[in-house]
Amino acid sequence: MIEIRNLTKKFGDFKAVDHLDLTIETNEFMGLLGPNGAGKTTTISMMSTVLLPTEGEILVDGQPLNRKAAAVKRKLSVVTQEYSMRQDMTMNEVMEYQGRLYYMRKKEIKAKTAELFEFAGLSDFGHRTVRHLSGGMKRKLMICRALMVEPEILLLDEPTAGMDALARRQMWDLLRSLKDRNLTILLTTHFIDEAQALCNRVAFIDGGKLDVVDAPLTLIEQLGPFAIDCMEDGKLVSSYFPTREAAIDRLRELPDDAALRATTLEDVFVERVGHHLTRK
Amino acid sequence: MGILTVLWEKWAEFKRDFYKITVAAMISPLMYLLVFGLGIQTTSHGEPYLNFLIPGIVAMVTMTGSFSAVSQNMSVQRLYEKALDQVMVSPTPLWQFIVGQIVGGALRGMYAALVILLLISPIRTSLVFTPLSFAIMFLNGTVFATIAVALSFLAKSYTDAPRFNTYIIMPMSFLCNTFFSTDQMPHGIKEFVSALPLSQTSDMVRAIAQGNDPNLMGVLILLAYLVVFAAISFAFIYKKKNL
Repeated sequence: MIEIRNLTKKFGDFKAVDHLDLTIETNEFMGLLGPNGAGKTTTISMMSTVLLPTEGEILVDGQPLNRKAAAVKRKLSVVTQEYSMRQDMTMNEVMEYQGRLYYMRKKEIKAKTAELFEFAGLSDFGHRTVRHLSGGMKRKLMICRALMVEPEILLLDEPTAGMDALARRQMWDLLRSLKDRNLTILLTTHFIDEAQALCNRVAFIDGGKLDVVDAPLTLIEQLGPFAIDCMEDGKLVSSYFPTREAAIDRLRELPDDAALRATTLEDVFVERVGHHLTRK
Repeated sequence: MGILTVLWEKWAEFKRDFYKITVAAMISPLMYLLVFGLGIQTTSHGEPYLNFLIPGIVAMVTMTGSFSAVSQNMSVQRLYEKALDQVMVSPTPLWQFIVGQIVGGALRGMYAALVILLLISPIRTSLVFTPLSFAIMFLNGTVFATIAVALSFLAKSYTDAPRFNTYIIMPMSFLCNTFFSTDQMPHGIKEFVSALPLSQTSDMVRAIAQGNDPNLMGVLILLAYLVVFAAISFAFIYKKKNL
């Protein structure tokens, strides 16, 4: 279990993360959602100890996570937003370096690398240098590298950033298959559909502050599972309804270009976070 | 264990860039030897100038080799490739990562010195290099690798690494007992320059090479630099708020 308590990070006068409290249960797939600059990556960076908090703490199974906590760090693996690996290494070397950093034996490293490259469809590219890989392959390599050490907790910081739609879907399949590995996962993303497809619970973060934490379906139910989109003064306006009947009744009163659809997590996000942004 | 991991990483890099590393280690010291030692045929204290120059150049390349191996690498890993993140989140104790960088850097400095010694081996001189000379050169390499580690944590962008080279390494190369003795410097400057690590290393390596007893006070001075900059490096990696 991960407990984030009163976590705050300041850069000068700017508060990137503002007294964040969040608990992630064991084996939970949690999404941390927010617009650009919301504080998601700063939170992950504090969890990977690259940044130290200004205030607050992070506990993993009750133990504080800090730069000296080797036993706690042993449980963690991170896929960062940027391609955080040496560009001049081959894929096999990246995996070997990771294995060595986690005290794995060479035989074990070799076997695990072969297994993970097979899992991610990278088996034919082990000798290719990182700088010669496509963005999608680099992302997959980072997932393989993170899984190499059989972590209990996986932190994924925008794992599909910069990917095309097809590559994103492939990555989703890969991430979905991680659920079977009994991992506790924290995923940050600004692709809301990604979180809806993958996460058990989501937390909205904006301006470094936590807004709401709940299951995607619960949040959709609260807003209203049926949505009608129509154009008003050149702007798309959505309204939400608790039942299909209520939505259809409203639709009859609207012009022909109005459309009925299922509410998504993105609607919840826009309603809760987007309106704050508009006001800003 | 963590130290061996870093050394493995350095070894992988060395194998990959063997030719680039070797040629880079050779060019400037070879130029100095050709121009000042062989081109401008002169004497110093009644001896061929090469007898003065060669130990200084060898000491200097342990400095430049060690410093550049670590400063470029660490700055790029921390600021551009973000590869340091992989180390930070791993269970490898961070002090072991630092020690690995220092030992790896010093070994690269030693390699550069060996390349130069091999290149000058056809030149007939009365100079001798003993195990103590190599131990002093290794110690000098650890000092400059440690300085490089500490500076790489101060770098704001990866282009700062060449600047550190310009501000620190280049002046030391010319002033610290490499091409001329610090004895000839004005009072005040002489004491300052003599206390710098390369001056001490050049002095000791030169004394041994010429068959004299080195002033082993220099070893204590080098150890003092090593301890201070290692402490700074450890403080940075454990305490720096934003790496």
